Amino acid sequence: MARTLVTMAGAAALIGVLAALSAPAMAQYPDRPIKMIVPWAAGGDTDNIFRPFAVEFQKHIGQPVVVANVGGASGTTGAREAKAAAPDGYTVYAVHDYIHLTFYAGISDVKYSDFEPICLVAATPSVLTASAKTPWKNWQELADDAKKRPGEITVGATLGSTSHIFPAMIEKAAGVKFKFVSYDGLAPRMNALLGGHINLTDSNLTQKGKVEAGLLRYIAIASEKRDPEAPDVPTLKDLGMNIVYEVARGILVPKGTPAPVRAKLEEGCAKATKEASFAQAMKVQGTRVAFLNANDYAQFLAKIDNENKVVMTDLGLIKK
Amino acid sequence: MSTGRDGIAGLILLAVSLVLLVKSFQLPSLPIVPVGPGFYPAIVLSLMAAASALLVLQDLMKRRPAAAAGEGDAPRRNYRLVVIAFAIVGAYVVLLPLVGFRVATVLFVGALQAALDRPRTARQWGVLAAIALGTAMASYFVFERYLLVLLPRGAWTGF
Amino acid sequence: MLDLLWNGLVNIAQWKYLLPLFAGTFIGVIGGSLPGVTITMTVIVVLPFTYGLDPLAGLAAMTGVYVGGSTGGLIACCLLGIPGSPSSIATTFDGFPMARNGEPGRAIWLGVWASVWGGLLGALFLVFLTGPLAAIALEFGPWEYFSLFVLAMAMVAGLTESSLLKGLISTAIGLLITVVGHDPIGSVPRFTFGSQFIGGGFPFLPVLIGIFAFAQIMTDLEKLNSPRGQAVESLVGTKLERFSHLKVNLEIFKQPFLLAWSTIVGLIIGILPAIGGSASSVMAYDQAKKFSKTPERFGRGHPEGIIASEASNNANVSGSLMTIMAFGIPGDAVTAVMLGAMTIHGIQSGPLFISQNPDIAYGIYAAYILAHPCMLLICIVLMPLMLRVTSVRMAVLAPVVLVLCVVGAYALNNTMQSVYVLLMFGVVGYVLVKLGFPLAPLILGLILGDQIEINLVRAIMTDANPWLFLTRPISGLLLLAAAASVVLAIWQHWRHQNRLAEEEPDF
Repeated sequence: MARTLVTMAGAAALIGVLAALSAPAMAQYPDRPIKMIVPWAAGGDTDNIFRPFAVEFQKHIGQPVVVANVGGASGTTGAREAKAAAPDGYTVYAVHDYIHLTFYAGISDVKYSDFEPICLVAATPSVLTASAKTPWKNWQELADDAKKRPGEITVGATLGSTSHIFPAMIEKAAGVKFKFVSYDGLAPRMNALLGGHINLTDSNLTQKGKVEAGLLRYIAIASEKRDPEAPDVPTLKDLGMNIVYEVARGILVPKGTPAPVRAKLEEGCAKATKEASFAQAMKVQGTRVAFLNANDYAQFLAKIDNENKVVMTDLGLIKK
Repeated sequence: MSTGRDGIAGLILLAVSLVLLVKSFQLPSLPIVPVGPGFYPAIVLSLMAAASALLVLQDLMKRRPAAAAGEGDAPRRNYRLVVIAFAIVGAYVVLLPLVGFRVATVLFVGALQAALDRPRTARQWGVLAAIALGTAMASYFVFERYLLVLLPRGAWTGF
Repeated sequence: MLDLLWNGLVNIAQWKYLLPLFAGTFIGVIGGSLPGVTITMTVIVVLPFTYGLDPLAGLAAMTGVYVGGSTGGLIACCLLGIPGSPSSIATTFDGFPMARNGEPGRAIWLGVWASVWGGLLGALFLVFLTGPLAAIALEFGPWEYFSLFVLAMAMVAGLTESSLLKGLISTAIGLLITVVGHDPIGSVPRFTFGSQFIGGGFPFLPVLIGIFAFAQIMTDLEKLNSPRGQAVESLVGTKLERFSHLKVNLEIFKQPFLLAWSTIVGLIIGILPAIGGSASSVMAYDQAKKFSKTPERFGRGHPEGIIASEASNNANVSGSLMTIMAFGIPGDAVTAVMLGAMTIHGIQSGPLFISQNPDIAYGIYAAYILAHPCMLLICIVLMPLMLRVTSVRMAVLAPVVLVLCVVGAYALNNTMQSVYVLLMFGVVGYVLVKLGFPLAPLILGLILGDQIEINLVRAIMTDANPWLFLTRPISGLLLLAAAASVVLAIWQHWRHQNRLAEEEPDF
């Protein structure tokens, strides 16, 4: 470590003025607060997951981690901002699966490969949820009705995003046809579902309270196994559809961020995700802690990217 | 007032809305949405075009008072100062990402003060500099240190 | 129910809750009074501090910010002519002229007291009507929302004195600004001319701050006599005139109907999600003008204008709290952050919230009620300090305010793009004011533009039958009211012009 420092100091002296601007950042990373770009508004699902994460993360990084909500244009504004940031480890990017979808839908020119992976943090299984004003008590009744009335059952979704892809995968697997209505974000979808203005939507376990109050019905969960939080909700696999759909959220940094900096971030992330308080915070978000290190996360990203490309092609939504 | 200022404004708005209206018809539509992305803008633009056309018409029909009474009566307006102020704000916005918040703010607050009320004595210059420095320091500390808003850092200065 | 509320009040009156409530209210008043710092930003700033607190203490602090911020905004409105926060837009219309006429004290305290009474009146509704009223809001589908927004615009386009046509064009410009960028349904770029800068659209707050701050500051600069030498006039008088709190309160209670109706307008808009305080302020103002015996005095320092705007924006807070508590649906960005804080503390918001967490639910009611006396106390203590702002020379004030606007715009999304938008719309706002276009309809167009489009398209996507807008009863009624509002505005305008023609022949 000391030798590295000496070498780096020497290099900085040689390169002179130019290096002097960036060298202090390298000497003792991190020596100032780190900005975590969350590409959605404060108070949203992603924000609710990364804010508790930032609290744990900064404990192990030794500098404040400041959440910056860079919302707008389906998360694209934040993605561009993160891509353009200096690769010095002082800007990290909190991402989820939308990055693949917006790219293939032609909304964004930013691809996951414009970044270096740090770690996967958490995964939130999608739950197909029905309005209490609909007659269906379970998947079978829904499927029968959907076959009788193709294209009439309304599904609220953010078009071209995870809440659209997930029901679309069910459409394909069950051989039915839904009518999609544009509702951006979980909160407006819940509102419309409670009022009966849409029949179905993609939600998650955070809505459990409303289900218990009889205002909504969980039809099926898209996780590998039934969730202990909602043991009565069948998985799609139980129902004979081979669909596992979880919104995966992780941390990326701009391409070109030095390896020692990435290692430091990865280490901080690994420790933060092991905290008991973080697990508790994720539980109330209907989410499971899902740490993957940088290498595994890289493979995971490549796999998910490919899967999304296939789904988007099937749905005819692909533009790139 | 001046001859047909409303008319000119109306004509410009009419032109803009017509150009955009044409553009709104060229927008590609999506297979799963029954109305394309140009549907709503076309409604708004038609409304705007119609209102602008009416404004032009109204201006043409208006019985104009004899040209004598005009700007002369109004209190003298210092438009030069407005242009200078806009230019200084423009320079500030350009400099922000280049030299960083702290430096740019000192320069901006100093420059705009000097433009609005030029100090004549050394003491007044001192006050001006103090206010410029104070504003930059105070806003930096309040926002960056206490409110955790990370303000722009200079691409040239790294500060 | 009342004993639960009493328990809540006793509970909140402990130091561990009272202190965060007071601190939150204080920060809210300060944040609200700084132009460019919105309540949303202030509440986000407070959020990290609440992580470490007990959930009710955190929520009390945020409630304080919300109430304090809704009031704090009026200080900048009255003294600078710039809304300190978007929810106090309409206070500017009369607060600033009144302050300029030599009565800044009356303007500010009318606003503060109207906020207190409007807020407390709102609290009554909050406690007793949360359940039933929110149930109505839930029945609003895309058709009803669309019609409601059309009604809002129809009401406000008629707000302008000068020209109905210009009001209409202003509305259209506001709507048009929201059209630019990726469309909200399928993200097709519209009118971007291939530019990435425009691609993201124009974020609301920088546009708002730009239009208002620049239009105001630049028109003030015009009046500076010479850049050199001479003393520069300050915006309003340097100290408060003599006035009495009693007289101000009498002035408010002389018109109980105005206070009550403004409160109800604010409340209803607060309950409906996604509209927010800015619309409630503007709409209550418009309503006050419609019902006033002296509509011609609006915009020139009429007390009714201040009362309507301020009573409604504080009542709006209670409306938003209703929606979030009954259904867990945030009505605006501020309550969205509060909802986030609740979930982080493991509290499930939603229909079961009040019955499962009565301590917290009634604690929030109590915090909301107690925030008002806190706010009053803070205003009394801080006001002399705040007034110093008025004695600052324009040459100093203008740059400092502009720096805050730039920081506010930047901090919104942490990007320079917002700052560019700020400057761009600063120029636009100034030019529009110079051409005699009213800004209020433009702002309402900006606020509602996205929502109108989304709900219109949603309605069509849900059911292709366009007659549903008229045949669904609530939607049909709202559209009818919109049509009536336009007719009324045209008639009023026509009458006004006839009168003008009689009074001032050929000026």
